[in-house]
Amino acid sequence: MPVFHIDDEPVEFHPGEKILSAALRNGKKIPHYCYHPGMSIVATCRICVVDIVDLGNGRPAPKLQTACSVDAAEGMKIETMNQKVEEGRKLVNEFLLINHPLDCPICDQSGECTLQDYSFEYGSGKSEMDYSKRVYGWRDIGTFVSLERNRCIQCSRCDRFTREITGTNEFGMFNRGHELTVDTYTDRPMTNKFQGNMADICPVGAITEKEFRFKRRVWKLKKNRSICTGCSTGCNVTIEHDRNEVFRLKPHENQNVNKWWMCDEGRLTYQIMNERKTRINRPLGRVGQNLQDISWEEAYRAIAERISEMEPTGNEVIALTDTHASNEELFLIKKLLKDGFLSDNVFCPLPKWEQRESEFFINTLITTDKTPNRAGALALKIKGDPGNVEVKNTIDGELKVVIVLGNPFETEHEIQQKIKPAQLVVHIGAYHNCWSEIADVVLPGQYYSEKKVTFTNKMQHVQATDIVVQALRRSRPEWQIIVELAQSLGHKYSFSNINQVFAEMAGETKAFSGISFDQIGDQGMKLTQTFKDTGMKLVKAPA
Amino acid sequence: MAEETLVLFKNIRNPKYSKSLEGYKKAGGYHTLKKVFGMKPEEVVQTVKDSGVRGRGGAGFPTGLKWSFMPKGTGKPSYLIANADESEPGTCKDRELMLKDPHLFLEGMMIGCYAVGCHHGYIYIRGEFFPAIKSLNTAVEELYADGLLGPDPLGSGFHLDLTIHSGAGAYICGEESALLDSLEGKRGQPRVKPPFPAVSGFNGCPTSVNNVETLACMPFILGDDGVDAFKSFGPQNNSGTHLVSLSGHVKKPGVYELRMDVNMKDIIYGIGGGIRNGKKLKGVIPGGSSSSVMTADEVDVLYNFDELAKIDTMLGSSAMMVFDEDTDVVQLLHRITRFYAHESCGQCTPCREGTHWSRNIIRDFLNGNGSDEKLRRLDRVGGNMLGTTLCALGDAAALPIQSFVKKFPDDFRKYYANK
Repeated sequence: MPVFHIDDEPVEFHPGEKILSAALRNGKKIPHYCYHPGMSIVATCRICVVDIVDLGNGRPAPKLQTACSVDAAEGMKIETMNQKVEEGRKLVNEFLLINHPLDCPICDQSGECTLQDYSFEYGSGKSEMDYSKRVYGWRDIGTFVSLERNRCIQCSRCDRFTREITGTNEFGMFNRGHELTVDTYTDRPMTNKFQGNMADICPVGAITEKEFRFKRRVWKLKKNRSICTGCSTGCNVTIEHDRNEVFRLKPHENQNVNKWWMCDEGRLTYQIMNERKTRINRPLGRVGQNLQDISWEEAYRAIAERISEMEPTGNEVIALTDTHASNEELFLIKKLLKDGFLSDNVFCPLPKWEQRESEFFINTLITTDKTPNRAGALALKIKGDPGNVEVKNTIDGELKVVIVLGNPFETEHEIQQKIKPAQLVVHIGAYHNCWSEIADVVLPGQYYSEKKVTFTNKMQHVQATDIVVQALRRSRPEWQIIVELAQSLGHKYSFSNINQVFAEMAGETKAFSGISFDQIGDQGMKLTQTFKDTGMKLVKAPA
Repeated sequence: MAEETLVLFKNIRNPKYSKSLEGYKKAGGYHTLKKVFGMKPEEVVQTVKDSGVRGRGGAGFPTGLKWSFMPKGTGKPSYLIANADESEPGTCKDRELMLKDPHLFLEGMMIGCYAVGCHHGYIYIRGEFFPAIKSLNTAVEELYADGLLGPDPLGSGFHLDLTIHSGAGAYICGEESALLDSLEGKRGQPRVKPPFPAVSGFNGCPTSVNNVETLACMPFILGDDGVDAFKSFGPQNNSGTHLVSLSGHVKKPGVYELRMDVNMKDIIYGIGGGIRNGKKLKGVIPGGSSSSVMTADEVDVLYNFDELAKIDTMLGSSAMMVFDEDTDVVQLLHRITRFYAHESCGQCTPCREGTHWSRNIIRDFLNGNGSDEKLRRLDRVGGNMLGTTLCALGDAAALPIQSFVKKFPDDFRKYYANK
C-alpha cells in the first residue's frame, strides 16, 4: 500500500483516497465538521486545513489545503501541528463562533459537541466580534428531531443526509451568505424513518433528538457496545445509560451491517430496557389460581418432582420459543429436550417477512421481521413454518410438559388454548405475558441489555451483546436457567459462562463451527455455513 | 494618444451594421466557421493555443490550454458552456456583445463547440439581461431557420444545438462550478476542485466553461492570418484586444476595445477624456470590484494581465472604475463589501461570516464608531478570508478590503479622528 507522511509518521492509503479519510482510518487526528465518510465531500467548513510541505514532488502547496478534499499521494509530507495550521484553524474557529449562541449550559449536545471540543482545543478563547448575532427561532421539524438553527454551523451534513443517504430530500439549505440556514421545505415536517441519524451527524446542537432532550447531560452517560434487537438487521449500537437507566441508543459503525446508521424505531427500543411494571422479578409458582413467590431452589425442585412423577415420553414434551431468544438459549433448549426427553419438539414462529429493496442503502435496514434472531433459529434448525402447521399438529396430542421461552405465538389463541391444559407449563422470560398467566412455574429471565449473548442477523452475521445495565436481583440469564433446570433434572451440564455454551454450540452445529465467542468481537462474524431460504420476500421501498 | 483597435467591435462601431443574421453574413460572418469545419478539432485547439488568447472572464487562463484538457473518448458527451453571467461590478462588455452583435459571439461559440466536440452548447446568461436574452434568442432562432444550427450546419454533418438558459440573479453563479450546479437545476454553489469541470463538469461530463468575450475572439483568431494579427495586439502572453468597461468619474465612460499594450493613464485621460469637472484622480479599481485598488500614483502602467499582476492587482474582467478626489472611499468600500456579503453563497465558513462581519465594521466607521483598533481588525478579518475559502469569492471580498485599508488609511481615520 502506498504511504505518505503526517507529522513525520507514515500513513498508508488506498489509491484515490483523501488525506483526511486515510488519516482518520489510521487513527490520526485532524479536526473536521462537514466531512463524513458516508457522504459527498463539500470542503466547506475549512477546519481540516493542513500544511502540505511536500506534495510528493518536492514542492510545497502554496497555501493551506483542506485535508478532506485533497488526494493523498505517495511521498506526500503533511504537517498538522505547525503554527500556520494552528492559525488557520483558529481563524475558522473564530468565524464559526461569531454567530453561534454559545448556549452550551442549556444545549443537549454539550459534552459531545465537536464545536465545543475544537474551540477548546484549537480556538483562541477570545472573540473580537461585538455585534449582535444572527437569530432564528426554534423549529419543530418532525417526529423525532427538533431544530435549533442558531447553533447551526452550516456544515450541510443534514442536507446531504436527506439527499444522498435517505433520498427523501425533505431538508435543505436556505438563504445566502451569513443568513444561510437549514430547514425543511415549505414547513412540511420531516417524515423519513431515519431522522435520529441527523442528530448524530450534526456536529453541534442544531438538530437534537426529541426523545433525549433535557433528560441527561451526556458526560454522565456510560456507553456500552451492543446491538439493536428491534428487528433482524441487528444494527450495531452503543447503549448509553446512567444509574441503571438507559437513555438512548446510538448507532455504531459497522460496514458489514448498518454502516453508520440506524432507524428511529430501533432507537425507541431503549424504552423497553427501562420497563419495570411488566418485568418478572422473582420466580413464581402456581398455588391454586394464584402465582406465589418462591425461591429458585423451590422452583427447580418442584419442576423436577413433577416431571419424575409424570415420566413423560418424547411426544408429551414440547418447548415453544420466540426468536428474541439468543443463539445459545435456542441451542440449550433444544439440547435439554433431546437429552432429557429424547424429544425434538422445539418450535418457534417463522412467518414470512419482507425485506425492502432500494437504491438507498439505509432503506434496507428496515425489515418486517421484528425479532433479532430468526436466522439463528434457522441455523440451529428449530422447527417452525409460516402457518404454524407443524406445531399445531404436534400439540393436538396430550401434553405433559411445556417449556415456553419468551413470548412466542402471542397472537395464536388456538395454540395458547391447547397448551393451557398441559400438566406442567414452565415459562422462562423477562416480561409477563399471556404465557406467564397460564404457567405453573415462572422463571425470571433477563433482557438482552442485561446479559452477554449472541444473535444471528438476517445477513447471517453472528453478533454479541454485552452486559450494559445491572439486571434485577433475582433474575438470571435464560441460558443459565436452562442449564440449572437440566442440572436439577439430573443432567451433567457444566457450563459456567457463555463462552462455554458457545463453544459447545459451535462444536455441535455446522453453522457455527469454527467460531468462538471471543472471535466475534465488535464487528460480528459471518456464519461458517450459511443457508439460502430465510423466508425473505423482497419488496420495493415505497416512494 | 490611445485609440480603439476594432476587432470585436468592428461591426458594432459601424453605424450601418444590422445585427441580424443577414447583416452579419454581409459583414463576412460565418465564413470562419466554414473554414473551421474543414479543419480537425485538434487543429482548432492548437490554433487557439498558438494565439495565446487568455480567458476574458477574470482569471486570465489560456483558453487553448483549457480546451486541450478536455479528455477524449470517455464515452460521455462533452459540453461547452458560455458563461454569460456577467455580474462583476463594473463590467458591462459581454452585454454589449450579446446585445449589439450576437452572431459574432454565436459564431465563436459554434467554433468552440466544434473544437471540444460538443454537440449541445449552453449559454448561461444573467437573468437580469432581458434585452440581451431577447437578442440572443432571436439570433439563435435565425440560425435554426437558416440551418446553421441543427443536424447539418454548413453541410458539415456536425450536429449542433444551442440552448440559452437564464440565471436567477446570483453573482456566485458566474463562478464556473456554481454555474454548472445552477444549470443542472441545483442550488448554485461552487464545487470542490478537483475534479475540474474539464474532467467532471455539467452532469458529470467533460465541460469547458468560457467567457462570452473569449468566444467572440474565435472568429478572428481562426480567420485568415488571425493568429499573427491577434498576437500583434499586445506584448507577449497578453495577446489580442480586450473590451475595457470604463466607468466612474471620467468624462466619457463606456466600453472600448483596446490593445493590451495601452497605458492606463492614456485610457483614463485619453479615451475616457479625463476626470470630469476638472477634478483630480484619487484611485482606480482596475479589474472589477474584486481587484485591489490602485492609487493615482500607480496608474502609469500598461493595462494588461502581467503588468498589473506585477503591482499586486489584476486585470480581472478589464472593468476599470475611476474615482476622483471627492470620493469617500470608506463608503465605496462599504458598498463593495455589502455586495459581497449579500452575494456570498454562505457554504464555507470564512466567506460566510467574514464578509458580513467586515461589512459591519466598515459601517461602524460610517456611523462614527471607528477606531484604530477597528481598522486593524478590519484588515485582519479581511486577511482571514484571503486564500482560505473554497472558491475565489473570499479572495474577491478580501482584496478590496485589504487594499483600501492599506492605501487609504487616512480616509478611514478621518471618520473618527475628531472624536
